[in-house]
Amino acid sequence: MSPLRTPRSAAVLNPFAARSRSPIAAILVVFALFSALSVGLSIRSTSGSRHSVAVVEVAGRQRTLAERYVKSVLLVHEGRHGDPSYTADVLRRSARALLNGGTAPAVYGDDDETRLPPARGKVERAQLQQEARLVHDLAATGTALLEHRPVAAVRLTAHEQIATRNPTQRLEILAALTSNVSLNAARTIAGTADRDIRNLITLQVVLGIAGLLASLLLGWGLIHATRRQTAHFRSLVTASTDLVAAFGPGGCSYVSRSVTEMLGQPEADLLGPGFARFVHADDREAVDEACANGQAHELVFRLQNRFGEWRQLEAHVSDLRSDRHIRGIVLNARDVTERVRLEDELTHQAFHDGLTGLANRALFRDRLDQSLSRSSRTGEALAVLFVDLDGFKQVNDTLGHDAGDQLLEEVAARFGTAIRPSDTLARLGGDEFALLLEEADEALAVTIAERLLERLSKAILLAGREMSLGASVGVVVHTGGPGKSEDLMRHADLAMYAAKKGGRGRYAVFHHEMGRELGDLFGIEHELRLGLQRGEFSVYYQPQISLGSREIVGVEALLRWHSRARGPVPPGQFIPIAESTGLIQPLGELVLREACEQAARWSREGLLPESFVVWVNVSATQLTGGGVGRLVRNSLAAAEIQPGQLGLEVTETAIVSEDAGGDRAMRELQELHDQGVRIAIDDFGTGFSSLAQLRRFPVDMIKVDRSFVQGIEHDPRDEAITTHTVNLAHAIGVLALAEGVESAGQLSSIDELGCDLAQGYLFAHPTPPEEVTRQLLDQQRARSGAAV
Amino acid sequence: MILAAIFLVAAFAIHARGVSARPAELRVTERDFHISAPKQVASGDVVVTVTNQGPDDHELIIARATTARLPLRADGLTANEQKLAPATVLSLEPAGPGSVRTARLHLEPGRYVLFCNMAGHFMAGMRTTLVVRSR
Repeated sequence: MSPLRTPRSAAVLNPFAARSRSPIAAILVVFALFSALSVGLSIRSTSGSRHSVAVVEVAGRQRTLAERYVKSVLLVHEGRHGDPSYTADVLRRSARALLNGGTAPAVYGDDDETRLPPARGKVERAQLQQEARLVHDLAATGTALLEHRPVAAVRLTAHEQIATRNPTQRLEILAALTSNVSLNAARTIAGTADRDIRNLITLQVVLGIAGLLASLLLGWGLIHATRRQTAHFRSLVTASTDLVAAFGPGGCSYVSRSVTEMLGQPEADLLGPGFARFVHADDREAVDEACANGQAHELVFRLQNRFGEWRQLEAHVSDLRSDRHIRGIVLNARDVTERVRLEDELTHQAFHDGLTGLANRALFRDRLDQSLSRSSRTGEALAVLFVDLDGFKQVNDTLGHDAGDQLLEEVAARFGTAIRPSDTLARLGGDEFALLLEEADEALAVTIAERLLERLSKAILLAGREMSLGASVGVVVHTGGPGKSEDLMRHADLAMYAAKKGGRGRYAVFHHEMGRELGDLFGIEHELRLGLQRGEFSVYYQPQISLGSREIVGVEALLRWHSRARGPVPPGQFIPIAESTGLIQPLGELVLREACEQAARWSREGLLPESFVVWVNVSATQLTGGGVGRLVRNSLAAAEIQPGQLGLEVTETAIVSEDAGGDRAMRELQELHDQGVRIAIDDFGTGFSSLAQLRRFPVDMIKVDRSFVQGIEHDPRDEAITTHTVNLAHAIGVLALAEGVESAGQLSSIDELGCDLAQGYLFAHPTPPEEVTRQLLDQQRARSGAAV
Repeated sequence: MILAAIFLVAAFAIHARGVSARPAELRVTERDFHISAPKQVASGDVVVTVTNQGPDDHELIIARATTARLPLRADGLTANEQKLAPATVLSLEPAGPGSVRTARLHLEPGRYVLFCNMAGHFMAGMRTTLVVRSR
């Protein structure tokens, strides 16, 4: 049987069924049946009694008639007047009527005709048959006497053997016998009637008792069913965790037992005016009103339990004043404290950042919408600040996410000290924060932006290290009136990008030209994907010059994007987006494959001098993501070039990561290096690499970051760093390359420092491969000329 | 030996007494208008069982009499019970058809008349004689 099918025998609890109706109906039916039976029997018995009386009268009359017949015969026999034949006729017809039913004839001057039923009882019929025989014998004897025939010769039919031959005596004996049997028949009939009446009385008593018992049984069943139903209701009400309370003019008139479980308060304490004492003061008015007017609605109020805690109750109010069983207002309440708490928690979670506890993007957006709405009415100004932490990603990558989270918490706390209580500080995600300043003009917004940057200027102690962190702040001011939150947020974002572009640790106030300058940065990702499909990317090469020979000894392959929509897009704009969106992987593959193939072409054309290296940048994302080793080997194999003709430039960040990704990157680089692939550290000096890490890293060249090279002529610190970096490279036996060499002075300086290689606009801009081919051809010719 | 003899005598005495105390049975059947009964019975205690097979009511009187021709009352219909009273040994009141009655009486040896004395019944044939013989 399917579990969904209910077996017919299964008891279904239905406390609301009208159980009382069927027993009542049964009681009424039993009463009706017993009454009908009783009345029917009474009618039948009364009718029978009436007949019995008539029969007894006629039977009794036979005795008198028999005696009258004898007198009449004797009178006629003596010659006097008499009518014995009439009496004999009446006797005979009456005897027949008594036996077989019919009309007993009237007796002159005495009775009327009487309708008689046929005799029923065996004894009764036997006696009446005997009577009929005796009447016959009597009449025959009387007739014989009157006709002067021998009386003793009359044939008798009633088995009598009369002991005398005296005619008169024989006649009198027969009359006595007739009289006697008639009397006995009458007695029998009367006895039968008496018995019928006794039987009827007995039956009536039995019926009465049976009816009473049946009624009692059904009544007991009704009471039992009612009790059970009441018990069901009581169980339902008392076992329910819901609180049921009824209110009348005198306050609470009933409260269900569940109150003890719910509040720990005894029922008695809540009855009468006591209920109000436990209701929260703020909710008392609403509860009083609900209990007074009884309008059906949902009501939420607080009741205090015996521990002093406030429990949230959600109640449905029903007006049952017209219900004669209740006569009051009924509150059916459930404890929803946990639900309310959960809802509050979920609401908080939905609108707050789990890490910092600050408002999240949704709440920020909501507050901004509200502020803009107010502003459109009042014309008040407001400002939005977007803050992006500089270098947060590196912290996350190098120190792990726990440290990153700690940093964000610290930043949130510091920002909290820089704002007014009415301002809304939010974390939009990652290292992006936003600030909504109401009633704020540009001056105030700038002040707070500066204050935010100032708060970050103090070093943050993180994982045992003192970290210095910067931020880029975008400021947009809404001067009042209607406005759209998405416009403000986009403008703040643009301003923030502008600040970031302008350098670290600064703010920028949005102006409309900024939008045009930066373009719609948010559309770049989509266009990047389109660009990949459309083949909008190409690889340029920037020559690297040996400072000793002034010859091109290598090139750095650089990705260039010529967007169909935007035109040429600087790598500084799209590379970070490619990295954050994962598009750096296909782009990295494209550069590597293209660079290897180009190296193969140059090699086949015989343009490459010995030890010429094509350098390809590999981002930290590519390295930690894994698969670089396989990709490099595939590219080398596809292009059929020697591993030594390819170099990989990696940043410090990529090699100092201590997590699993960092280990894998290190392992793969080591393997590639073992196979002959060259490795260079790019942007050296800007990351967090330590000498210890550098020592065990398979490196062939260190590239001094352009920021140091460009300051080498004027800034002693940059010069010192450059000097040390070059010395360091030489100390560990690798080449040093100066990046971003743009002037003869810079070239002179690095030359003096003993730098091995240089790269920069001074020698060549990144150019299409054809231009490099030309330069290589020139160089080849020059070398050939010199040889000649 | 003496004790055993006493027990034997006592047992015999009890047995003899039981046999001598057993009453004779006298079954009498009445019907309109006739009485059936044994013609003879042993003297002593007699248990009379009277069955009325109807259809009329009947009584039963047993009186010591030398003849069945009993003295009648003046009505000429019934026996004169007053005169018979000294000789009457049993007088059962009328009973309806189907009735069975039992009476115990002691009959001395002699001649008896059994009859129903309801009006006319004696004269209509409800009488019979019984000889009680001495044992």
